[in-house]
Amino acid sequence: MNFVVRMAMREIRSSWRRLLFFFICIGVGVGSIVGLRSTLQNANSALVSQARLLLGADVQIDSTRALDEAALSTINRLAQSNLVSGRTETVELPTMARPNDASKEGSLLVELKAVGPGFPLYGDFTLADGRRFDSQMLEGRGAIVGQSLLERLSLKPGDELKIGEAAFQIRGVISADPGGGTGFRLGPRVFIARSAIEETGLAGFGSRARHRVLLSTTEQSLDSLVKELRAGLKSNLITVRTYKESEQNINEQYTRSENYLSLVGLVILVLGGIGIANVTRVFIEQKKKAIAVLKCLGATSRRITVVYVAQVLALGAAGSVFGIVLAKLALLGVGKYFAESLPANMSQSLRTGTVIQGLVLGLLISFLFSALPLLRVRHIRPNLLLRNQDDTLTGRGLFFSWGHLRSLWRRLFAHHREMESTEVAQRNPGEPRKFDWVRWSTGFMVLAALVAVFSWQAGSLRVGAFFLGGLAATALLLQLASAGLMWVVKRTRHIQSFPVRHAINSLHRPGNQTRVIIMAVGLGAFLVIAVQSLQRNLLLELDPANRGNLPNMYLIDIQKDQKAGVEKLIQDATGEMPELIPTIRARITAINGREINLGSGEMRGDRGRLGREYVVTYRPALEANETIVAGKIWDATPSTDPEVSISEDIQGLQGLDLGSTITLDIIGRKLTARVTSVRRIDWRKSRTGFLILFRPNVLDNAPTMYVGGLNGPSDDLSRSRLQRLVVEKYPNVSIIDVAEVIQLVKRLLGNVTLAVTFVGGFVLFSGTLILIGSVAMTRYQRAYEAALLKTLGATRKTVLTIVAAEYGLLGLIAGLIGSVAALALSYSIARFIFAIPWSLEPIVIVAGIAGTIALVVLVGLVSSLQSLSRKPLGVLRAP
Amino acid sequence: MIELFNVSKQVPSGSETLTILHSLNLTIPDGQFISIVGPSGSGKSTLLGLIAGLDAPTSGDIRIDGESIVEMNEDVLALLRGRKIGFVFQSFHLIPALTAFENVLVPMEIAGVKDATDRAQQLLEDVDLTARASHYPSQLSGGEQQRVAIARAFANNPSILLADEPTGNLDSQNGRHIFDLMVEIHQRRSATLILVTHEHNLAARADRSIALSDGRVVADSMGTENEDLAEVVSS
Repeated sequence: MNFVVRMAMREIRSSWRRLLFFFICIGVGVGSIVGLRSTLQNANSALVSQARLLLGADVQIDSTRALDEAALSTINRLAQSNLVSGRTETVELPTMARPNDASKEGSLLVELKAVGPGFPLYGDFTLADGRRFDSQMLEGRGAIVGQSLLERLSLKPGDELKIGEAAFQIRGVISADPGGGTGFRLGPRVFIARSAIEETGLAGFGSRARHRVLLSTTEQSLDSLVKELRAGLKSNLITVRTYKESEQNINEQYTRSENYLSLVGLVILVLGGIGIANVTRVFIEQKKKAIAVLKCLGATSRRITVVYVAQVLALGAAGSVFGIVLAKLALLGVGKYFAESLPANMSQSLRTGTVIQGLVLGLLISFLFSALPLLRVRHIRPNLLLRNQDDTLTGRGLFFSWGHLRSLWRRLFAHHREMESTEVAQRNPGEPRKFDWVRWSTGFMVLAALVAVFSWQAGSLRVGAFFLGGLAATALLLQLASAGLMWVVKRTRHIQSFPVRHAINSLHRPGNQTRVIIMAVGLGAFLVIAVQSLQRNLLLELDPANRGNLPNMYLIDIQKDQKAGVEKLIQDATGEMPELIPTIRARITAINGREINLGSGEMRGDRGRLGREYVVTYRPALEANETIVAGKIWDATPSTDPEVSISEDIQGLQGLDLGSTITLDIIGRKLTARVTSVRRIDWRKSRTGFLILFRPNVLDNAPTMYVGGLNGPSDDLSRSRLQRLVVEKYPNVSIIDVAEVIQLVKRLLGNVTLAVTFVGGFVLFSGTLILIGSVAMTRYQRAYEAALLKTLGATRKTVLTIVAAEYGLLGLIAGLIGSVAALALSYSIARFIFAIPWSLEPIVIVAGIAGTIALVVLVGLVSSLQSLSRKPLGVLRAP
Repeated sequence: MIELFNVSKQVPSGSETLTILHSLNLTIPDGQFISIVGPSGSGKSTLLGLIAGLDAPTSGDIRIDGESIVEMNEDVLALLRGRKIGFVFQSFHLIPALTAFENVLVPMEIAGVKDATDRAQQLLEDVDLTARASHYPSQLSGGEQQRVAIARAFANNPSILLADEPTGNLDSQNGRHIFDLMVEIHQRRSATLILVTHEHNLAARADRSIALSDGRVVADSMGTENEDLAEVVSS
């Protein structure tokens, strides 16, 4: 042990510079995992600590309809018991607001929240002028509004705002409202008194209002209160939630995203691992003589291997610590620069658990990726000391090189390629090669360990294995592509320019790891280009100029008796007749006669699809964007027999299929219908689609609301005037201006793109690290070659041109591969996930390839400069 | 005692097989100073390598102190070398990452010797390099490097010292010094010394000289005319 420790320390002392790269690789990978996980865990605990604030209560009772007598009496009974310490009610709905002064322009979609006395039960509600919110402020038709509403409608406190049928005086501006800081928002919030909602005429029948009862209680009473509430409120239209469940939901969501994101970190670490494998391989190659000497002096292969494993672990540990420091710096940076988009009170400290994970991962990856290269120690024969053989570096790509694939069978029985010269001398003629079971079993264990590491990080064996498989497949594809391109490049050797010809030769330099660099740099370029291309396509799709004749405005919540009036109004104003579609809101209560019970085990997984409210419609025929995939669509004649056509998207839901029955609750009335066809909806050709479609007649008298899209004027002002016109006459009708929604989505998209580009940039950075490592490893050879060329009359400029051409080619190949793969990915995502048309964006490709070339040439030149500028004589004497 | 029975060595060379040593028989008693001479490519270094277990013969048997080494695996051979055999190379082969002192220390550390540091200092003193102990090989002259290599070779007090043209990379004055040093230590410790050399004046100072040509022993000063030997050596 003494020998092992001392020897390892001495080796590190002399070669730490060469292994610095190893250290950085691990550092960057561990840093990204620890940083990502810590950030998400911090965000998670910040949100979880706010769960009660977000819910605004200990227990929230939520319904899409006004609570009926039975439900109210249950709640009242419990509210008066000692289980409940506080109670308030809210009604929330999106609706239109406009200035009460008819001379003022504009109308705006707002999120109306009517709150009862006692609101908020939890959290701070403060106004811009510093006052605390008090529900008395809302008495006598008062409103508290978001700042943006004042700006958009050119109003000021004291002015009157019209919502529905009623006018409200603006009494204050929101500074912070409980649960208001997060989430996607259609429009500014407007608070009015719960008692005033009836006066607006918006909460009536068919409205999209959410009715909530908020209760506060003690920690001890929470469970029994919820139990009693659930027992008393049997309807599946009412949900009872506790802040603890919402904590749990936040936790689940965050754990999932944390696991996925740390896989990204793991990719960076694995790229670092590939770098490590290369460093180790070349390092052992350089140490060949020293190892032979040690063997000559009586050290066994195993002890020498342990010496190098100890070095790897020491460096892995140091690199991990470095990574943890990096993560801490990143956390501080994130806290400083992204404070606005992060939850309040979020800590910037490292999580102990993630620090330990980072250390373990750093050590594991160091060990796993150096294990195979270290096994070469066994095959270094001491007799190489007796020969004055040329000890130049040889070797090729690491894992996936063509040559290796070709010689896979040979390798079953062989030691490594570069060992063969010594080995041949050692082996006697005719002696069979032995199966290298140590190498193969080590390889197998490394693979199994990697699957375990990925599964551990992904939190699922399946995801881990798939992810690793996907990574391996991508790497293999990139390798094959680069091998192909290299082959092409090799065929162009007869090119006129000397520097380019020489550069092509250099790409095949032994030990150059050309393919590994191409793979790593290409992978980074791939991610960056893919996300950029996808973003451009999404933006293009969102650009009104490219939306063809898709509606730019949507009218919703039109009541049956308003249909004709709205149609006429729109036609008079725009000359175009809007197509208004009847919609009926329904919930699934049974499938094939089996009652939906969201609590039961087998239905838990489908909770989202079973518990939601469905908007259904009826019409005699299919739309142009629909096709039947099973069954047969009804003919145009009405039928009293309830018959539905379902979308493929809900086919299979708890056995729902052609011939099934589905029972729907439509405002308290149960209706059971037969599924007579299954439709495929081409979402690309429309922005509306109905998962459940009824045959006309049965629903004709059901409570119906109409929706419709229209092509309004293209300028903002005219659109705004049209909105106002509709709202003045039909205050309950809401109008969604697509242009505004697009602005919101664009902002979100910008953030997502920034995040993914950042990760891609990191991968690209790992790629350049491998490049720097490769340059460092071939430094002596490069210096020697440059000195020779200079001796033979090449100027410094020629030598630099050769190097620049070499890296230029490398960058070109990596950029080409990366961009082609990126286009394929962005195409697939655009077509199959977002279902939007995709177009080639030449600027992204050109910029992507040019950027990759520039990066690789820059990094390559800078890291080669030292070895190229040495004086020839010194180099040739002692290379 | 070192014994070789019908030892031959062949290596593949392209599609053919090249025979480096032809069925060699040799017995070297303990404590003998033997020199091996012969032209380049005659198999001298191969013979030395086979005796040190650095390479395996194609056929035949090699015994050291009665123990056959041809069937031993790499690791057993390594342990044997650590215990019994010291090796001095033409191109020194010091470990560049280690200081002179550490280079001498390493074999003892491998063998787990207790008072290794004291002994390493003593060995460096024996070769007159105490002042250079903390220097790295790249900071030492050729002669100094070879003296470190000799100190290292004697670190574990081996009973056999093998030297492959130890003076080949040195000027004549340094070469003479190194040779004297080896002979002196051989005498002091009564170790077997096998020296491969090109220089017949050095070879002539051995107890016994063996001449190789084309992988065969063409002369052995024990039982062979000295003139024949001189002829081979000078050719």
